[in-house]
Amino acid sequence: MNRKFAIAGGLAVVTALSLAACSGTTSDTETTADGPVTLTLSGWSIDTTPEFQLLADGFEEATGNKVEVVEYDPAEYNTLLTADLGAGAAPDIITQKEVKYVPTLVDGGQLLDVSDIDIPASVSGADSYSVDGVQYGTPYRQDSWVLFYNKDIFDAAGVDYPDGSWTWDDYDAAAAALTTADHYGTYEHRWQSTTQGFANAQFDGDIFSGDYSYMTDLYERRLAREDAGYQIDFATSSANSPTYQGEFGKQHAAMLPMGTWYVATLLSQQASGEADTFNWGFAPIPQVDSSTIDNPVTFGDPTGFGINAAIAPEKVDVAKQFLEYAFSDEAAAKLAAIGITPANTSDAVVDAYFAVDGVPTDDVSKFAWSTHDTRPENPTSNDTAAVQTILGTLHTEILTKAKSIDQAIADAEAAFKAL
Amino acid sequence: MSAPELTEAPPVSAPATFPEPQREKGAVRSTIVRVVGSILLVAFALALLIPFAWMVLSSFKDSNEVFSVPVRWLPDTWHWEHYVDLWTKTDMATWLRNTIVLSTVVTFLQVLTGSFAAYGFAKVRFPGRDVLFLVYLATIAVPWQSYMIPQYIMLAQAHLTNTLLAIIVLQAFGAFGVFLMKQYFESIPEELSEAARIDGLNEYSIWARIMLPLSAPALASLALLTFVNTWNDYLGPLLYLRSKENWTVQLGLKNFVANNLDADYAMLFTGLTVSVIPIAIIFLLGQRFFVEGIATSGLKG
Amino acid sequence: MTSATADAIGSPPTPLKNRRSKLTLRNTMIGWSFILPNFIGFAIITLIPVITLFYVSLTDYNIFGKGDFIGFGNFEKLVSDPLFGRSVVNTFYYAVMHVPLTIAVSLGLALLLNTKLRGVAFFRTAAFFPYITSIVAIALVWNLLFSPDYGPINEFLRFIGIANPPGWLTSQEWAMPAIVIISTWRDMGYYMILFLAGLQTVPRELYEAARMDGTNALQRFWNVTLPGIRPTMFLVTVLLTIASFKIFDLIIVLSPGGTSAPNQATVVLSQFIYQKGFIESKFGYASAAAVVLFAICLGATVIQFFINKKRSA
Repeated sequence: MNRKFAIAGGLAVVTALSLAACSGTTSDTETTADGPVTLTLSGWSIDTTPEFQLLADGFEEATGNKVEVVEYDPAEYNTLLTADLGAGAAPDIITQKEVKYVPTLVDGGQLLDVSDIDIPASVSGADSYSVDGVQYGTPYRQDSWVLFYNKDIFDAAGVDYPDGSWTWDDYDAAAAALTTADHYGTYEHRWQSTTQGFANAQFDGDIFSGDYSYMTDLYERRLAREDAGYQIDFATSSANSPTYQGEFGKQHAAMLPMGTWYVATLLSQQASGEADTFNWGFAPIPQVDSSTIDNPVTFGDPTGFGINAAIAPEKVDVAKQFLEYAFSDEAAAKLAAIGITPANTSDAVVDAYFAVDGVPTDDVSKFAWSTHDTRPENPTSNDTAAVQTILGTLHTEILTKAKSIDQAIADAEAAFKAL
Repeated sequence: MSAPELTEAPPVSAPATFPEPQREKGAVRSTIVRVVGSILLVAFALALLIPFAWMVLSSFKDSNEVFSVPVRWLPDTWHWEHYVDLWTKTDMATWLRNTIVLSTVVTFLQVLTGSFAAYGFAKVRFPGRDVLFLVYLATIAVPWQSYMIPQYIMLAQAHLTNTLLAIIVLQAFGAFGVFLMKQYFESIPEELSEAARIDGLNEYSIWARIMLPLSAPALASLALLTFVNTWNDYLGPLLYLRSKENWTVQLGLKNFVANNLDADYAMLFTGLTVSVIPIAIIFLLGQRFFVEGIATSGLKG
Repeated sequence: MTSATADAIGSPPTPLKNRRSKLTLRNTMIGWSFILPNFIGFAIITLIPVITLFYVSLTDYNIFGKGDFIGFGNFEKLVSDPLFGRSVVNTFYYAVMHVPLTIAVSLGLALLLNTKLRGVAFFRTAAFFPYITSIVAIALVWNLLFSPDYGPINEFLRFIGIANPPGWLTSQEWAMPAIVIISTWRDMGYYMILFLAGLQTVPRELYEAARMDGTNALQRFWNVTLPGIRPTMFLVTVLLTIASFKIFDLIIVLSPGGTSAPNQATVVLSQFIYQKGFIESKFGYASAAAVVLFAICLGATVIQFFINKKRSA
């Protein structure tokens, strides 16, 4: 018995070692003195996130230099990228998936100074990549939050569509009128940003001030809506983990505040049958009062690119060219054509976006998409992650009714002081 | 503390016959106990299997239907094609191959080096043995995330990242196997080794010919638990196995829950269900080894 | 009984001291020859990074290793950090509930299923299923079972007369006990296996002898089984205690609110370490917390080690 076991085991080991030797290893990037340069770029979910390959192909067409997309797991993107950076094996172009990690990368000396890249005014979100006045990255995509609504349900309930002038009072009233036994008036997802993003943006809240009393109004409204049954309460939502795509797509709710990235998802899900077929549109998010209607205040974070500080020196110029290309009119139009909201929203880009099959083309949608005062969801600072965690705890405490709004805010302010 | 020696004759007990009514009453009582016990046991087994049952049922649902309010158990439409899609539209075959390779090799190495080292700790006395063993135990106490980055950098410099070998190296030399086997070896009486030594066997032969065969339950347990842990390991492969052709089942499946933007839980559960099957089979077939042991008659004490 | 004693019988009279040190050397070489294959891998892969961890805890490194040496500054900061204090309390609360409960349940299961009756294979496999079920499924189904208004557990509690059953995973007081229950449910199959293996080392003759002595089942358990599985009990207790102090994944998916933001009722040390290290990039600080976690586990293990040594004398 021992002999057979040992032989079998030995065979297994030999097989494994040979397989291991045959399995892929990280490929070195090629560099040639003159002639096309190949850059590597960090991306995620390549099959379902076509933007990286789109930009790579477009860049090659425009300049002849190649860009290879290196795939990372989307949920642990930051951890994996960090490990690679630590090991000196990260790609040349570092996609900034979440703004809150930018200061950490800068602090760790991982990003190149790209202040010499000229960013035009039509491109929003550049500030998110500026640390201590130095530019370390450029945006290519800027999502912002809008209000999605199900036109069919509105018609059936006899409620007027949001017309771009709504305040939060209008929103609450609509949620009440739209709720029936079959569906809720609205669905707000569990993320802290669904309430705090608007509070920070519309009430001029500064999360680094240590004073969070400005969040009271929106939380009171949300709790009131949940208690009245106009939207799923947070505890049930946490227990059952409904997806926002499912809630709106299967018509369980008539309204959905969400980021503009959802447009592409909803279109593809309606095409594949995963979501119901119904008429929908999106409008600017409700405002505090009518004073900001011409330039609705909302929030959102850009997605951008940075350059690995350890990049081979001869590739730096091409890398900077790529960053410039990513927010150029040409690239922005291409991104818009696949349903992405680019950072560059000049008129040509707007037309390209609304020419996509299925995107609602009514005026309110166009207005909501192109005209907005988007404040950062995560202001760039070394303390962003710590403060957002404190606020995340506040969010949970209020909505699970573990503490009263005032108590939770007081505790958050105390925790902020202790930082 | 040792059990009583079996040198005296068992004490004389009361007369062997009992009055009839008492025996009948005892029989009825034990039947009731058995029936109630069986009911409880079945209910208990259901409680154990419900989450798994929900997972299997969800694999047949529309991905948008999986998480809903209120929760649905049965699918509205039964998407049997998920199980076909898993093999045709995804790289499940590659993932399974990698996972099988990793689990088998790691299990083999853990059992081999673990039981080998355990013998040294359990049966050989040398200075510093206990302290060294405590050091082994102590490293189990450190959460892996705390040292995974320095470890990664080290393996990266050895050019081992993105290879299956990295995972093998990470998992095969753990303290768990040493610990488990050492405890088991300690309950094997020293007299057996004594006798073997007198017969002229060296320590290595004692390990191979006496300790190992007697430790079938412990070896089986170690093998199963190591296999399962490697099979289900997610974070290690996530960090080290980047290229698609190196992915394990857990890695490949997680891709279905890509992001906030695109979550296909139904396919995820399809893959997880398929992934559990080999383990369940191995467990069913191998679990009798947990209770098979060679009686060490009369020597304990 | 040591082999030294056996050796001493009938050998020619050599000075005791020489004989002892020669024997020690021989034993040391033999001992190390067994340990070496595992130890080399262990030392390189695990020991070195762990030692690095200790060094990092004395610095204020961010995750990229940029920072300065600050001696015990991190530890001073930990003492006054309310979230850290909360994590330590919660971790102990969890461990103190989870360890005895799991030992009792898994040992009970092992005793129950340590038989050759038909169908026992099914039950043993069923006991193992929670361990191999996906954590996503676990979180969702248990959230349902524990649902305060609609869940079967509270339905049952109301049925037997408890008017105001707890809020379980949605309430601050009962979230941790709920997590302990779920965690025991998940772990019992795992430790049952270890106990099953250990039960095989207790010779049947001892039970028979005890039965003939007129003992009942409980006495047999105390006097035959428990002493007989002492090595296994030590194994399970140590592993379970360390695993309980390190608990992480269940906390993340089952915290009230289900987000990864630390919750006062359920934040544990591993979560604190993850939060500070990977989210806030305070790697030196997180490493210091990891060192504290290590010290707690080590302390518990050493205590158990000495209790075990005393019992085996």
